Amino acid sequence: MTARFDPGDPVRVRPEDRRGHIRTPSYVKGKTGQIETGLGAFKDPESLAYGGSGLPDKHLYKVAFRQKDLWDGYAGSPDDTLYIDIYEHWLDPA
Amino acid sequence: MAGIHDLGGSPGAGSIDKSQHETEDWEHLADAVTVVLDKKGIKTTDEHRRAQESLDPERYKSLGYYERWVAATEILLVEKGVLTREEIDKKVAELEESP
Amino acid sequence: MSETHNGHDHPHEEIKTGAESSLYAGRIRAIEALLVERDILTKEEVQSQIEYMEARSPANGARLVARAWIDPEFKTRLLSDTKAAARELGMDASGPVEFVTVENTPEVHNLIVCTLCSCYPRAILGRPPDWYKSFAYRSRAVNEPRAVMREFGLDLPIDVTVAVHDSSADIRYMVLPMRPSGTEDMGEEELARLVTRDSLIGVSVPLEPVLAG
Repeated sequence: MTARFDPGDPVRVRPEDRRGHIRTPSYVKGKTGQIETGLGAFKDPESLAYGGSGLPDKHLYKVAFRQKDLWDGYAGSPDDTLYIDIYEHWLDPA
Repeated sequence: MAGIHDLGGSPGAGSIDKSQHETEDWEHLADAVTVVLDKKGIKTTDEHRRAQESLDPERYKSLGYYERWVAATEILLVEKGVLTREEIDKKVAELEESP
Repeated sequence: MSETHNGHDHPHEEIKTGAESSLYAGRIRAIEALLVERDILTKEEVQSQIEYMEARSPANGARLVARAWIDPEFKTRLLSDTKAAARELGMDASGPVEFVTVENTPEVHNLIVCTLCSCYPRAILGRPPDWYKSFAYRSRAVNEPRAVMREFGLDLPIDVTVAVHDSSADIRYMVLPMRPSGTEDMGEEELARLVTRDSLIGVSVPLEPVLAG
């Protein structure tokens, strides 16, 4: 299965309020960042967490956010960046 | 709504306590048993995390790190029918009487 | 240790010792005993895992960094495949998680956190410090990294970009700090002694030669 995103692609994290085990923190939900790099495909933790097989694999992406886009009144440089590893099904093109 | 474990950017977090406690024997044990069960395919890291996240928020907040690990391990072993709570209770009592 | 903020208690974290934690100590001992009785695992397997973890420590990270500082080709290998680089130095970092080393430069300083659960590159560095697992660090490393670093004595100028990495999936991160100045004549072992665990997480930088002694 090919990866949907390439480095540099702008992406938005889905603002979904999903019950159960997820690895997408709420502080990035609904936020727009940029693909830094693809990290390969991994078994889906949302399935593994309940004894599922974790298949099919999900592509994982390192996504870069400008800190000033994540936090109101962020105290630091406008270039300060937050990187986080997000699974493809949480990302939409922005 | 963010789960209690979803802590990034939580308001009201105070200064960071840099004190370090000596890892106790039971904590070494908790760590090792968790990892061995994982290696044997009896439970996964993901299930272990999910079990911790399922703890009542008050409990999650008040338990120490390895206490959460023990709670999660027990939840999973019982869920998977490997052990029952009653068996564990009984063994706890037995070990207290004659360690 | 709880405080109130806007009327809400933030997480109350006691480091419990001895009698207070005997409830969970008793439970894990009982669980182990039952699992051994049922032949699900053996005491030897558990002991072997305890010893495996005891053998992991920040000294491993320090060795990787010191070698990278003196050998540019090793540094390239460390940055492209940390697990393989660790194997080269005789460290067993095998297992399902991936390791990635992020490099500090004069322009960028890296900081590692796992906000959701305190994941850490245990197979190389051993267990994380208590503060890394604290709710305060997990909360503030992402939205107040500079203030967090100041609490560890590191005050970065505004023209250095701070890059925070939240290890939310199966990648574990380690920082390759910059080599302190005035260390040109130091050998690999001496250099490794400058590399602190905290500099591998990113809350501080390595020791200066005069301080290490």
